[in-house]
Amino acid sequence: MDQTLWSKAHGAATHFPIALVACSAALDTVGWFRAGRPFAGDLHAVGYWTILFGAAGSVPAVISGVLMTKGSVLGHGLLRLHHLFVWPAFGLLIAIATWRALVGRHPARRLLAGYLCGVAAMLTLLIIAAYWGGELLLATAIEPGP
Amino acid sequence: MTSRSATSIALLAGLLAVSSALGGAHLVRQHAMHASHQTPTPERWLEPVTSTSPQRVAQGRKTFLQRCAHCHGVDARGDEGPDLHDLQVSDRYIANTVLRGIPHEMPSFARKLQGDDIAALTAYLRSLEHEADRSDP
Repeated sequence: MDQTLWSKAHGAATHFPIALVACSAALDTVGWFRAGRPFAGDLHAVGYWTILFGAAGSVPAVISGVLMTKGSVLGHGLLRLHHLFVWPAFGLLIAIATWRALVGRHPARRLLAGYLCGVAAMLTLLIIAAYWGGELLLATAIEPGP
Repeated sequence: MTSRSATSIALLAGLLAVSSALGGAHLVRQHAMHASHQTPTPERWLEPVTSTSPQRVAQGRKTFLQRCAHCHGVDARGDEGPDLHDLQVSDRYIANTVLRGIPHEMPSFARKLQGDDIAALTAYLRSLEHEADRSDP
């Protein structure tokens, strides 16, 4: 089997959930600030589906990452930094998407504010994890590990 | 469904997802180790800092000259093997490389070096980093 297969799969799988989650956060935030407008409901509906697809897309991203690192939960150096942020981000993403799926497309304004805070925290973790993932890619491209 | 119960279920789902991923990773790791005939090493949150006392460094230098200088050069500036100054890797990475080797590039020293030798060797390699720092303008 091609040894770089999981590395390629991880690269292909990670960007969709990041983009979808960021998109969901942006749409819900705009919908929250424009609550009185007729299109706000549509924004929340799209935000609902994008967070669900983002969460679903994170599963293959995590599986390919685990297989790529041969099951390293933390590792060392840049990989450790990546993992320290990616595991909480993954858990929070699944929790947030599950909450949204249970509560529905149009949660109450007060609940939506709390939800957006959670999404912001998760997105921050995800972006930091992605940053270290990118640094890791550069480092291993220059000096492959044993 | 109330928001309180939805939050409880969501937190449970998040924990379940992470624990499943970590459990799966553990199985993958066991399988990979078994396939490569290596002994699994437990993950640690904090790795002990390698002591770099002069005695330790001298011991490491001796081991280096006996086992490594043939390929890495007596000054560790590289020959067949790479320059070992300014290694941007962890102590464990160094120990793993020495113990397991690198396929088609470097032999394993698992039978020739003990833990204490590797710790001393690591101390010596770390002292080279400081040497590189001092020589930089």
